[in-house]
Amino acid sequence: MLKRLSAILFVFFVAGSIPVHAADFPTKEVQVIIPWAAGGATDLIFRALGATAGKYLNKAVVVVNRPGGGGAVGYTDGMKAKPDGYMLTAAVTPLCILPHQTATAFTYKDFEPILNVVSDPSMLLVRSDAPWKDLREFVDYAKKNPDMITVGNSGAGGGVHLVALAFENAAGIKLNHIPFSGGGPSVTALLGGHVNAVSVTPPEGIPQIKAGQLKIMALFADKRLAMFPDVPTVKDQGINFSMGMWRGLAAPKGTPQDVIRKLNESFKKAMDDPEFQAKAKEMSVILSYLGSKDFGALMAKDDEFFGKLIKEMKK
Amino acid sequence: MLESLQQLAGGFGIATTLPNLFYCLTGAIVGTLIGVLPGIGPIAGIALLIPATFSLNPTSAIIMLAGIYYGAMYGGSTTSILLNVPGETASVITCIDGYRMAQKGRAGPALAICAIGSFIAGSIGLLGLVAFAPPLARAALAFGPAEYFSLMVFGFIVLSNVTGASLLKSLMMALIGLIIGTIGLDPVKGDARFTFGSMSLLSGIEFVAVAIGLFGIGEVLSNVEKTAVLLDGKVLVPRLRELFPSLEDLRKSIKAMLRGTLIGFGVGLVPGPAPVIATYAAYMAEKRISKHPEEFGQGAIEGVAGPESANNAACQAAFIPLFVLGIPFAPPTAILLGALLIHGVTPGPMMIKESPELFWGVIASMYIGNFILLLLNLPFVPLFANILRIQKRILLPLVILFCITGMYSVNNSVFDIWVMLLFGGIGFMAGKGKFEGAPLLLGLVLGPRMEVAFRQSLMISHGDFSTFADRPISLAFLLATALFLIIPIFRLGLKRPGKGGASKGPAPTN
Repeated sequence: MLKRLSAILFVFFVAGSIPVHAADFPTKEVQVIIPWAAGGATDLIFRALGATAGKYLNKAVVVVNRPGGGGAVGYTDGMKAKPDGYMLTAAVTPLCILPHQTATAFTYKDFEPILNVVSDPSMLLVRSDAPWKDLREFVDYAKKNPDMITVGNSGAGGGVHLVALAFENAAGIKLNHIPFSGGGPSVTALLGGHVNAVSVTPPEGIPQIKAGQLKIMALFADKRLAMFPDVPTVKDQGINFSMGMWRGLAAPKGTPQDVIRKLNESFKKAMDDPEFQAKAKEMSVILSYLGSKDFGALMAKDDEFFGKLIKEMKK
Repeated sequence: MLESLQQLAGGFGIATTLPNLFYCLTGAIVGTLIGVLPGIGPIAGIALLIPATFSLNPTSAIIMLAGIYYGAMYGGSTTSILLNVPGETASVITCIDGYRMAQKGRAGPALAICAIGSFIAGSIGLLGLVAFAPPLARAALAFGPAEYFSLMVFGFIVLSNVTGASLLKSLMMALIGLIIGTIGLDPVKGDARFTFGSMSLLSGIEFVAVAIGLFGIGEVLSNVEKTAVLLDGKVLVPRLRELFPSLEDLRKSIKAMLRGTLIGFGVGLVPGPAPVIATYAAYMAEKRISKHPEEFGQGAIEGVAGPESANNAACQAAFIPLFVLGIPFAPPTAILLGALLIHGVTPGPMMIKESPELFWGVIASMYIGNFILLLLNLPFVPLFANILRIQKRILLPLVILFCITGMYSVNNSVFDIWVMLLFGGIGFMAGKGKFEGAPLLLGLVLGPRMEVAFRQSLMISHGDFSTFADRPISLAFLLATALFLIIPIFRLGLKRPGKGGASKGPAPTN
């Protein structure tokens, strides 16, 4: 009896693990795990991209939200998924942050990069009536009054918090970081004058900048924003620092390379599709394609960067 | 104001075009269904339908998605009343008196009052939105971490004893709620607390799982204990003329609805768990004002009318910060913001000027939507009320099944189902000791937010506690809390010498 059972199990597993081939991939719908609740920036981008990518894959792309643990729950599920290309995960900056903060079952190395879709620059915003005219005045004030400028962020240890910490190091200043539960609440606190500045990524704060209530104090990007060409980057102003948030797609480790290639091609075509381009423009996110190799290199670089930063922070 | 009315009239022109009416109706129907199903709430509903709106113009899309949001507020009370299963977080309080009414064969009036109360609150809330949106939005910005903390303390102390059973037992339950609320990632340092290495516990205990467990599953379990004869003997079949509320019911409810609307609209402007606080506060207010407070908990119709109106008014008020400031104060409006962005509309200070046809079209569609929902929900009353005709031995397993599938749909998490079942057991045991679930849920909602606000305030002030007293709004809430705590002691002290201290309040009836 036991023998027969194990024989059945053996056949079942061997048959189940026969490698899939790209020639007939995909034969069913492709799922994308979003490790956050519906409605966030990552969720919206991949819902829009998925709707377009379905055209090129000839199968639907379905978004599955697995929120929890600041993304840890979703990444654990994504890592455990069968490496056949039917269960992908949105690879966003926290993938390289979480493993340094808590004992997670995964690191970025458990995933096979497919492509990067979006890179958003981080920025520090202040109220338009703030006493500092430009970055120099801001930094000077911070040097004279260490720990006095309060900077809101969207959550302790989250991407924009770490960016603000890294900027402190680069500029040689000390700020007082106040965590909020999300980018929205931190921007609200800034509008109400309860904090002096906030660290955010677009589209957070964009409507208030357009309305003249807030202004960009520091833009941590290599290029100026197309939307605000008059706002200089911090590099333009002599501080060598840039840091953004990336959002791409990854598959579990061990997914066949030809399947990765097929997914990369289809999602790349979707990125170039005018339908998706228009949506991305409306959401004011900055599209920045990276192939699977370059995206992997970016992950490795940021993983090292955040690892060091968090070690310092925890001292 | 006059200009607003003119533009509103223009908005009605947009909202009453045939396609927009259709999308409004679709949103309202989907919202009602989502509200009726336990677990799955407006957030998931809106997220699922966003891709379906890609091909629509922005106004039609938002009309439909907003319809889902306020439609869910109508449907949420249905399972609370019939099965003691709160459909949404906002309908926890409705379980208390709504379910009692249904057990007494008055499910019909309870359901109808919910629909009418929601309609009245929705309509008045919209008037408030049109007339006062910009100044109210600015007032909401006055709430920083310190003000927010003091408000939470006030809410926690005042609302803990919401059911008025026993202050000691209520505070014990509220404290357990606070303790459960500390599970998960530390909101300031990001360290894991009380997770025992479990990934699933990192994000804390899901509120909906606790609510459905304590109320819904707990109630099923306590029914299981009864003998078969007792169970089926208790099915009360509502008669036709008892399906709709009597004039007496309406007379009792109308003031409760108006008060609920006012409370809900005010609380709705504060960031965070507005609908929960609003419903607790409305229930508390009704009980305090009532000439028959002993009826509460036994099926008082005001205990349904007040909170149900409050959650709809809070829902309308939540649109103010979204439209005027461009900032969502609550998760459902956060996802609406996302939907607006994807359609190229940036809500915020410029929205009324930049896309007036969208702003006023959506506002007008909400009036129409509220009316549609009333017409839609009233005919459902007999249908839903008849669910109670099903024999309990068949109904109860179905309720469990419903709860499990509903729970899974919230986060696609099996772990949440176990949490729900665990709290079902806890709810069952707590019921035996006459411990109430509502204060625990309040503690669970307010606790984490209170902690964050407290630590934020002290981080901003560099550890100086006087920040809570220096700010006038914060000070006012703290003083009110102190008064609330001191007055009963003072009263007791006055009474004791004369009367021997035995006559505090009406003797509890069983």
